[in-house]
This record gives sequence, C-alpha cells and structure tokens, in this order.
Amino acid sequence: MLKKIKQLFEPVKSVSVDEAREFLQEHEEGTFTLLDVRQPKEYDQGHIPGSKLIPLPQLTDSLDQLDPEKPVVAY
Amino acid sequence: MAWNGQVATGPVELNMDLVRGDESPTEITRLAYGMEMSLGNFYQTMGQRMEDKEVIELLSQLASIEEKHKQYLLEMLRSIEHAEVDQAALESDISTTILEGGFDTDEFITKNEEFMRTVTGLLDVAMMLEAQALDLYLRFAEKIESGDATEILYKIGDEEKGHLAALGRLREEKM
Repeated sequence: MLKKIKQLFEPVKSVSVDEAREFLQEHEEGTFTLLDVRQPKEYDQGHIPGSKLIPLPQLTDSLDQLDPEKPVVAY
Repeated sequence: MAWNGQVATGPVELNMDLVRGDESPTEITRLAYGMEMSLGNFYQTMGQRMEDKEVIELLSQLASIEEKHKQYLLEMLRSIEHAEVDQAALESDISTTILEGGFDTDEFITKNEEFMRTVTGLLDVAMMLEAQALDLYLRFAEKIESGDATEILYKIGDEEKGHLAALGRLREEKM
C-alpha cells in the first residue's frame, strides 16, 4: 500500500521517440515495464515488442499488474 | 514524432499456447533452443532455393547467427542442468515445424518466399521474425511462474534485442 501511495508522487516525464528508443536499447529486459495503453485492436496491428497491454480505461483497475519497483515507459 | 522502430503484430494471446506457465528453466531453454534451431534450418533451406549470390550469402550469415544463439542456449542449458548436455541428442528431440516467433515453417515460406529474393526484402523478413521472437519471449516471461525461467527469458530477450539492432544497422547500410 505504501509503495502504491509513494508511486503517486513519482515524477512523470514525457520523452521523445528517440529518447524512448535509447532507453529501451540501453536497459536490460526485465528491469522496466513497457506499457501499451492503447486499445487491443491497435496493439494487434502493431506494438513495440515486449509491450504489456493494459488499455487506458482499465488502467486504474489493473495497477496491481505493474511492478512498483520498475520504471514504466507508457505509450 | 511517430515510432519508426521495430514492431510486432498480433494479439496478446498469439502463440501463447506454446507454454503452459509452469515450465522449468530447463524446459524454457529447450523450447527456445528449438525455435532458434528451426530458424537456422529455415535460413539454410531458403539458401538452397535462392539464386541471387548476395541473398544466399546473407542467408548463410543469418543461419550462422542462429547457430551462435543455439550455442549460447546450449551453454545455458549445461549450466542449469549442471551436466554435459549432448547437442545431437538434444536436437533429435526437437520438432522444427515452429519457427522462432511462433510461425509455422511451411506456411511462412509460402507467404514470404517472394519477399526474400532481394537483400533488403530478406532483411525486412529477418527483422520481422526477430521482432516477433522478442515479443513472444517477453510475453512468455509474463506467463511463466518460475522466477528463474523468467530471468532466462529476459536474457534471451536481450540477445534478440541486440540481434534486431544489428539487423537494423545492416538494413540502413543497404538502403
């Protein structure tokens, strides 16, 4: 619970496509969460490999699927 | 600016029937080895069906990269099992009908052979296969319960990511 509350105060930063690509390339798999918040049909048509799909309308009810210890890159 | 990096396609459930969720590190490594082996065999088979010299050379290069991945997984398997794993025995147990990324080999050839007759077309197909493979390994990692097996999938994912980046650089050179 404390972790979730702490998470509410974590800074959110917007990054460019190039910065996101660099982040994904430089970080080992399993050390971050790549989150796709679009709709399932959009995910089916094309997504960044390894993305976890949680459509935006379901996000607030699915926060337990995210590891609070890992940075999240959302798109 | 829109994303112009690699993309994977298909629903979250695509090819997830290849794992149950309770696989051990050994089972996961053997599964990955089988997929790398299938892809290597696929590139070799395609090399015999092509005529363009540069395409044949690239197919041979792609097959040798899969061979390196196999060796990486074989070493990993030996380390997990704390035993000498016989490569020939390991390969004799493997069905090569499923390519890395979860594609059916014959179906994939039928649909993609024409695109593979040029170097750039072949590189596009290879990158698509690697992107699907990376995505599938990481979706497996979401489903697998064993922490050790999940870590293995992340390591394999890192290997695939590096391979994909190298193919991307080669694709840029050939443009």
